[in-house]
Amino acid sequence: MNADMSLGSVIRSEWIKFRTVRSTLTGVFVMFILTIGLGALIAWATRSHWQTVSTADQVTFDPVSTSLIGIVFSQFAIGVIGSLLITSEYASGLIRTTLGAVPKRLMLVSGKLVVLIASMFVVTEVACFAAFFVGQSIFSGVVPTASLSSTSVVRAVIFAGLYLTILAVVSFSLGLIVRHSAATIGIFVTIVLILPLISLAIPESWRVHIVKFEPSELGNAMTSVVTPSGDLSASRSLLMLVIYAVVVLGAGALLFQRRDA
Amino acid sequence: MIKIEHLTKRYGDTLAVDDLDFEVRPGVITGFLGPNGSGKSTTMRVILGLDHPTKGRATVKGQDYASLRAPLHEVGALLDAKAVHPGRTARNHLRALAASNRIPFARVDEVLGFTGIDSVANKKVGNFSLGMSQRLGIAGALLGDPEVLLFDEPVNGLDPEGIRWIRDFFRSLANEGRTVFVSSHLMSEMAVTADQIIVIGRGKLITQGSIDSLTATAKGSVFVRASDHEKLISVLKTHGGDVSEANDEALSVSDLTSDQIGQIAFDADVVLFELTPQRASLEDVFMELTADSVEYGSSGARNER
Ligand SMILES: Nc1ncnc2c1ncn2[C@@H]1O[C@H](COP(=O)(O)OP(=O)(O)O)[C@@H](O)[C@H]1O
Ligand SMILES: [Mg+2]
Repeated sequence: MNADMSLGSVIRSEWIKFRTVRSTLTGVFVMFILTIGLGALIAWATRSHWQTVSTADQVTFDPVSTSLIGIVFSQFAIGVIGSLLITSEYASGLIRTTLGAVPKRLMLVSGKLVVLIASMFVVTEVACFAAFFVGQSIFSGVVPTASLSSTSVVRAVIFAGLYLTILAVVSFSLGLIVRHSAATIGIFVTIVLILPLISLAIPESWRVHIVKFEPSELGNAMTSVVTPSGDLSASRSLLMLVIYAVVVLGAGALLFQRRDA
Repeated sequence: MIKIEHLTKRYGDTLAVDDLDFEVRPGVITGFLGPNGSGKSTTMRVILGLDHPTKGRATVKGQDYASLRAPLHEVGALLDAKAVHPGRTARNHLRALAASNRIPFARVDEVLGFTGIDSVANKKVGNFSLGMSQRLGIAGALLGDPEVLLFDEPVNGLDPEGIRWIRDFFRSLANEGRTVFVSSHLMSEMAVTADQIIVIGRGKLITQGSIDSLTATAKGSVFVRASDHEKLISVLKTHGGDVSEANDEALSVSDLTSDQIGQIAFDADVVLFELTPQRASLEDVFMELTADSVEYGSSGARNER
C-alpha cells in the first residue's frame, strides 16, 4: 500500500475541509438563490413590461443573457467561497497545521484548486442551466424565448458557469496574495463592481477600447448569444478571463511558495 | 532525530534566532527552554518548514521537512492548539489531516479515544476549552504514529490535572524510543518534565545538557554568619570570593567552597556561627543563565543595528 502523500490524497483532504465548513454550504446556497431567483425576478419584470419596451429594444432583446443576469450578483457569493478557501486558514492559523501535513506548497495549492474548480463548475453550471430554463418558461408566450437546440445558446449558458468558476479561482488567488478575508473580498468587489464604475469617468473614445477587457464586461460577452460589433467574441473573452486568472494565480502561488507561513 | 545547524532567522530588523546549533536525540524528553521572545517558536516553525531560514538549516531524520514523503508518519507537532477552523468538528478536522497523508479514518477514532475527546468529537472546535483544544492538537500530532514529536509550550493554560496527564504522556512517548522536543519558558516545568535541556536566550544557544549537569555547573553559594563581617568580607574578597549580604546578619559567598571559607575565616581569626552550602535551584540556574537575555528583552522584541 502506498502511504505517501500525493496530489490525490491532498485533494481528498481538501475536499473534506471544503465541505465541512458552513461558509461553503451557505455560499453555494446564496449562489443558487441569486442566480436563479434574481434571474426569475428580472425575467418576470421583463415579461410584465414587455408591451412598453420599444421595438428597437425588442429586436435586440437577448432572452439568454437576460435569464442569466443573476450571475452579476451571485459572483460575489463565488468570490467569498474562493477567498475563504485560503484566507480562513490564515484567520485561524490552521494554515500551519495544514502545511505541517502537506509541506509541498504547490501541491497544496493544486489540491485546493482542483476541489474549488470541480465543485464550483458543477454547482454553477447547474445553477445557470436552471436559471436559463426558469427564465425561458417565464418569458414563454409573451417574450421571445431561446432554446438549447442552438449551439450558441448552449455556449452562452455553459460560459456563464465558467465565468463564475474562473472568478472563484481569481478570488482564491487574491486570497493567496492578501491572506486576509475582508481585504481579499474587498479587492475582489473592487475589480468586478467598482472598476466598471470608475471607467465611466474615462472619455468615451478610450472607454470603448478599455471596458471590454474588464472582467464584468468579459462575463457579459461570454453570456451573450450575439456579439455586438467592436466587442470581444465570447471565446476570446473566455480566453482573456483565463489569462487574468492564470496571472493572479501564478503570482499567488509564487508568494505562497516563498513566504513564511 | 532533529538537527539544527547554524540556524539564523531574521524578521526584518529582528534577529529571532542567531546561529543556533544543536541536536535532539530519541528516547528522551528534550526541553527547549528560554524566556519569552527568545526564539523557541521560531525555531520550531523552521523545523517544520513553515518559516524559511535566513541562514543554516534544520533537518528531521537527516531531511528537510518539506522533502518528507509522508510528514505525519514521521513528525507530529503541536505549535498552537487554537490553530483549527472554529466551525469544523474535531472529527472532521482530524479526518482532513489524516486523508492528506493516507492515514485510515479508524486511526482518527483511535487518537480521539486516546486523548479523551471522543465524547466531543462531533462538536465544533470553536467551542472547545483550551485544554480540549490541546488534546485535539495532540490527537492530530499522533495521527501518523510519528517517531519525532514537537510541542510548543504545551502546558500553557492547562489545569493541574491536564499538566500531569501531558507529562506522563511525554514520558511514555520517550520510553517508546521516540524523539520528544518540548518548549517552555518555565524552568520549573522543564525540571519535572525533561531529561535533557537546551537553553536559549535572544536566539542564541546558552547551554545544553542533562538537568543534573546543569545544576552541577551552576554557581552555588555558601550562606555564612560570622563574628566580624567587615573583616571576613575583605579577606574573602582577597581570596577571590564574591560576597554579598544575604540579609542583615548573614553573607552569601560564591566562587569559594565552604572548606575554603572556613580556612580563610580561621586564618583571619573570625569566628563562624554558620556555614551552609546552598545548592542552586534550577530556577536560579535559569535566571542566571538567561539574565543577559532578559535584561534587554523585557519587551519581547529586540532590534539589531
Ligand atoms: N513572524 C514574525 N515577524 C516578526 N517578528 C517575529 C515573528 N515571529 C517572531 N518574531 C520575533 O522573533 C523573536 C522570537 O520570537 P519567538 O520565536 O516567538 O520566541 P519564543 O517562542 O521563545 O517566545 C521575538 O522578538 C518575536 O517578536
Ligand atoms: Mg513561543
